[in-house]
Amino acid sequence: MVLCLVALPVFAVLSIFSVKYRKLTKEAFDCLFKTVTFRKCRSGLDNRIRAVLTGRIIRLSPGIAKIFYKNYKIFSWVLFILLVWSFYVSFIGIHNYILYGNCNGPESSGFCIFDPTGSNSRISEIDYVIPANITYPVLEDDDPIIGDPKAELTIIEFGCYTCPYTKNAESTVQKIIDYYNGRVNVQFKTFVIPNHPFSTESALAADCALEQGKYYDYHKLLFDNQEKMNYDMLISLAGSLGMNMTQFTNCLEDEKYKFEVQDDTFMGLEAGVPGTPTFFIGKSKVVGPKPFKTFKNIIDEELKK
Amino acid sequence: MNVEKLREDFPILKKPIIYFDSACMSLKPRQVIEKVSKYYTDYTACAGRSSHKFAHEVEIQVAGTRKEVKCLINAKRDSEIIFSKNTTESINLIANSFGLKPGDEVIISDKEHNSNLLPWLKLAKKGIKVVPVESNEDNTFNINNFEKAFTENTKLVSVVHTSNMDGVTNPVKEIVKIAHNNNAAVLVDAAQSVPSKEVDVQSLGVDFLAFSGHKALGPTGTGVLYGKKEMLEKLDQFLMGGETVVDSTYTGYEPEELPARFEAGLQNYAGIIGLGEACKYLKKVGLKNISRHEFKLNKMLSEAFADNEKISILGPKDPEQRAGIFSFIVSGMDIHDVSGMLSASRNIMLRSGAHCVHSWFNKRGLKGSVRASMYLYNTEEEAQAFIDELNKILKF
Ligand SMILES: Cc1ncc(COP(=O)(O)O)c(C=O)c1O
Repeated sequence: MVLCLVALPVFAVLSIFSVKYRKLTKEAFDCLFKTVTFRKCRSGLDNRIRAVLTGRIIRLSPGIAKIFYKNYKIFSWVLFILLVWSFYVSFIGIHNYILYGNCNGPESSGFCIFDPTGSNSRISEIDYVIPANITYPVLEDDDPIIGDPKAELTIIEFGCYTCPYTKNAESTVQKIIDYYNGRVNVQFKTFVIPNHPFSTESALAADCALEQGKYYDYHKLLFDNQEKMNYDMLISLAGSLGMNMTQFTNCLEDEKYKFEVQDDTFMGLEAGVPGTPTFFIGKSKVVGPKPFKTFKNIIDEELKK
Repeated sequence: MNVEKLREDFPILKKPIIYFDSACMSLKPRQVIEKVSKYYTDYTACAGRSSHKFAHEVEIQVAGTRKEVKCLINAKRDSEIIFSKNTTESINLIANSFGLKPGDEVIISDKEHNSNLLPWLKLAKKGIKVVPVESNEDNTFNINNFEKAFTENTKLVSVVHTSNMDGVTNPVKEIVKIAHNNNAAVLVDAAQSVPSKEVDVQSLGVDFLAFSGHKALGPTGTGVLYGKKEMLEKLDQFLMGGETVVDSTYTGYEPEELPARFEAGLQNYAGIIGLGEACKYLKKVGLKNISRHEFKLNKMLSEAFADNEKISILGPKDPEQRAGIFSFIVSGMDIHDVSGMLSASRNIMLRSGAHCVHSWFNKRGLKGSVRASMYLYNTEEEAQAFIDELNKILKF
């Protein structure tokens, strides 16, 4: 009976992968159900499990097999306690996930079963096969640096002004710059997401703002007004920053920085960027608006080098 | 008999298994598998009804099998061989067609397989009396009890030839003599004997004999009923349908000749044709050799555990009387545990349970036994592996 209790969740998980275990799961469930309703469970499932486990152990050591066979009740209780323990751990995981967005707790950047694609990893994806040989992105003088230009480490971010996940990451980026206080800065490269309206235009507009020395404020305004973005908005935002409007409008209409924007996107593709936002910290790639801790772990390692 | 060479004919034996469940289902040699496959790839058709090339081929092949089976059990005529789907169906045919009436008595042994018990128990509901003969203490047939079981109402004796439970072979020749002296006919359940020993229906004198092809290297779903011509002719028809009649009107029909009148509907042609190949294979190896080989293996097992007080072997001590079957109970240990452990530890495939002889176990308050049944492809190494593994468990 106890073995059935242990078997049920184990088989249930295995049955995701194999039909064989679906039948066993059903049997374990039937057995459990009969037991709790005070009926006799005749499937003999626990005996079968015991026999199979004992047989397997015989291969390793008949002595241990004997101990197991004779004391299987104790073993099944131990297994049962382990099971309860694993439930407890899972519960903590869920708890952490709810609080910190990661089931391993606030200090970890590990894989989280509850967030396998996860909101923390969510990006605006592009339909593109990632190249087998990745060319890591490089810093370029013509792209703006956010933060102290003399910092020891530069994070390269591939983002899109009309991507909600890039926007989500903005606060974390700012936090990183503040936290490292001059040791880390960020180079923002525009990565065009073809199915996002105004993805290209806003990227072009940002370069036009850079030309007039208004990049940082414009960059911020683009994200602040992301939901309402349209062509006129690009222009009016420039106006609100007191730019030379003839120069700005010409720049935007002539697609003056078209090749610049394209080059950035290509660089991202070659680097295996699956979507926005994607960050490169040294050779580590961070995909999605991950929590600050995730960045911190990698940055600290990089800074040690 | 070169077992190593012969094993090469059994593709399934490439797997790392020790197959000791041949009493239930024998493995199949390549020759049989290919023959079955050939029917499906080269000449799929009905026999007897159509007149094209394929149909002819099927007819020739089925007739060939009938001849092979006839030779295998030394029947007098091909027409005495009726194909069925298994031993069970063959026995049911007799139970339904023999014409037993209320008050008639049928003698069986006390350790019949359900397929030679239930058809009679069903008749018992209609007032036919079923009389089981109690075996000796060591599970061998008790001729005295048998003789005493006859009354003037005894019409039929239906006994197992070699038991699937303990491997004991009943003295059919003697049984037949006594039965015939009492004007009773004899049906023999030869499911376990035909696959592994020389069975000669004429010398035994039986009236009917049933066996399954699938326990004798043949394809699944193949069975045979042998009947003496004059006995078969007296039988009523059982299943009715295509090929069982020469002609029919809305009010009547004219039965076919033997054996067609008992083979209703489209037959398992592929299976039957494969069975012919299985008979050839058995003949090639030699049934005497097979019996001898089974005895050799059973002797190994029996001697290894003869003095072990934890093991009780079903049936007589002497392995020569137990064919290829080593059926045992381990004291203090569940039978399914034993088979489960041996399967998990060394891939030894056994059967544990009542082996469809519930009646015998129920009477003794037992759940069943563990059964190792060996056949021509099993080796001494396998027998030794079984002994070694079981010994490990016995130390528990
Ligand atoms: C002695 C005996 N009789 C009858 C049968 C029934 O055979 P089938 O299931 O092929 O009809 C078996 C099969 O185990 C048997 O061993």
